[in-house]
Amino acid sequence: MILVLLLFVPAVASALIARSRNSSRAALIHVWANIATLIAGLDVVQRVYVTKTEIAWNLLRADSLSAFMIAIITFISAITGIYAVGYVNTEFDSSQFRRARLFYALFQLFIFTMLLAVTTDNLGVMWVAIEGTTLATVFLVNLHDNHTGLEAAYKYLILSSVGIALAFMGTVFMYYAAVAQASEIGLSWTSLIAVANRLDPTIVRLAFVFILIGYGTKAGLAPMHTWLPDAHSEAPAPISALMSGVLLNVGLYALIRFKAVADISAGPAFASAWLMRFGLLSLGLSAAFLVSQRNYKRMLAYSSVEHTGIIALGLGFGGYWGTLGALLHMVNHALSKSMLFILSGSILLKYRTTEIRGVRGLLKTAPWTGRAFLCGIFALVGLPPFGAFISEFIIFRAGFAMHSTAYSVIGISLLVVVFAGMLASMNSMLYGSPAEPWDRSDPVRLPLAPVALNVVLLLALGLTLPDGVQEFLGGVLRIVGVSL
Amino acid sequence: MPFGKLANLLSFLFLLMSFLLIVRNSLSGQVRMFAIQSGILAALAGVVALFGGRLELFGVAAVFAIIKVAVIPSVLNRTVAKIGMQRAVAPYLGTSSTLAVCAVLVIIAFTAMAPITGSDPLPTADGIPLAFAGVLIGLFTTVNRRRALTQILGFLMLENSIFMIALLATYGVPLIVEIGVFLDVLVAVLILEVFVYRIKQNFDSIDVKQLGVLRG
Repeated sequence: MILVLLLFVPAVASALIARSRNSSRAALIHVWANIATLIAGLDVVQRVYVTKTEIAWNLLRADSLSAFMIAIITFISAITGIYAVGYVNTEFDSSQFRRARLFYALFQLFIFTMLLAVTTDNLGVMWVAIEGTTLATVFLVNLHDNHTGLEAAYKYLILSSVGIALAFMGTVFMYYAAVAQASEIGLSWTSLIAVANRLDPTIVRLAFVFILIGYGTKAGLAPMHTWLPDAHSEAPAPISALMSGVLLNVGLYALIRFKAVADISAGPAFASAWLMRFGLLSLGLSAAFLVSQRNYKRMLAYSSVEHTGIIALGLGFGGYWGTLGALLHMVNHALSKSMLFILSGSILLKYRTTEIRGVRGLLKTAPWTGRAFLCGIFALVGLPPFGAFISEFIIFRAGFAMHSTAYSVIGISLLVVVFAGMLASMNSMLYGSPAEPWDRSDPVRLPLAPVALNVVLLLALGLTLPDGVQEFLGGVLRIVGVSL
Repeated sequence: MPFGKLANLLSFLFLLMSFLLIVRNSLSGQVRMFAIQSGILAALAGVVALFGGRLELFGVAAVFAIIKVAVIPSVLNRTVAKIGMQRAVAPYLGTSSTLAVCAVLVIIAFTAMAPITGSDPLPTADGIPLAFAGVLIGLFTTVNRRRALTQILGFLMLENSIFMIALLATYGVPLIVEIGVFLDVLVAVLILEVFVYRIKQNFDSIDVKQLGVLRG
């Protein structure tokens, strides 16, 4: 039941907002829907922690892996959603009410499609929902309605649609392999994994390659990432935060589900090898673009490609530690990147430019924004005591333990390059004296406050891993077939 | 005519339409080829429904025909009329080299699909490599053509071919998924139509080469 409610809230909120008559009413529905979705999401997580699986009406199903995703989606969308109100109120005046309403309605629809993708057992419905995320966000990318936004939105839609069509073909092949075993399987993941050891490995391999290319496009793996820097940098900041922090993880989630099947059927080495190749390529390509990046929103976007690469490396190294590291890194990246994109919105509202060169003395002109930005970048590049340090450490330790020494050594070296590039950019934005005498104030104040929670959680993940969380993650790992 | 041969013939005609589409020079001609291809596919779904004993496929065929033979082509034709542009040329590769590439793609398709055709007990299996060739040609058209509208047609051909693979290999995926996929594609095309129109307004051309500001 609670699963139905979880999906019901954003869907209904989207419809109500689309019919609302003024901006403040739309914002009110939006905020309450975000809070209600978060509460429902946490309730699902807590129930799954106890019962292992929640099922509603034979349509929706949540196991530990789904609950893990629900936690990320609902938490980040609540933080982002609250900030979005401040952003929209500053960015759009009352004459642009229709645009603000469109923003809120599509925001809720976007959350609905993501939640549907992770709460269905049917791999076909999951595909439909993930394509739905593209359709819900494409107008948001073009919300500012200018040349570059149009270019980004067109590229995003055509590349993602073509990419994800290939994932559908992979799904069809997987279905084909399953039908050969038992005709009544349908496209259910649970029955697919139950017969995985009897599936024809040749066909599963073929299917997985298409799925990796397809969902890899959504997850931002290089070389299918070309839409990502454009879309993530052109979208309004709250949407960039959700696309980078959450949507990429939904693409990875689909890959994790199919990898579990391929591991059993075709042996773990097959999917791992491909994930490691794509992962390292993503890391290398993004490092090249990060060292001399001139636009801070594009810097954050390329950093998302980098982190998707790290997560793919973790999944590729595999085993208990590699996969655990990848899961933790998904959380750390979601928390730090969503926060940084939120802050990039405030920086843009303040300085009216996305050029790194145009932003000087952020700590002086907008002290809270600047301090939070500093914490976020430190957390993102993996400095201790933040969580990403631990997850990256676990991932590369797993790499050495699994004898993927070359991948680990090159990966770590690339991380150092990224580290240097991003710190240099951050330095020039935070310090120095501003070109004009700006007044000393943060453009968005109260709605920004919740990002403090991101910082607290990032610190907590860097310092401890409570028993309850560890047990929960152990449950997620058992779902995908790895244990100590 | 036996079921397998009929399915094969329709698969062959399907691929032929992909080839005819890429050599066409006018946008409305390309849209027409796409509509005919979709019609062939709807007929194939009907044939599979009849001979394979999958009655729900009649429903899928009907929905498919409505969306891809009627609605999407008329949307595309409206766009062609709105932007007032008929010529579809300006591929990166010329027609003869494009045909050569597509011929190679067909050969690749036969090699890549060998494990599936070899193991599929269904009488329709022989058409699968032809459908996969359609996937590759669709992909190639999307990257080779500079006109936004032809890119969209490439994407639609790709979608058609994947639907056909599902039809030939397993008599289609479950109904609810199929309908969901059709709706997604329809919405995607409607949004793309809006974009093509806006691109035309903003850049005074639908050449995607104009879309090159965002780099690095």
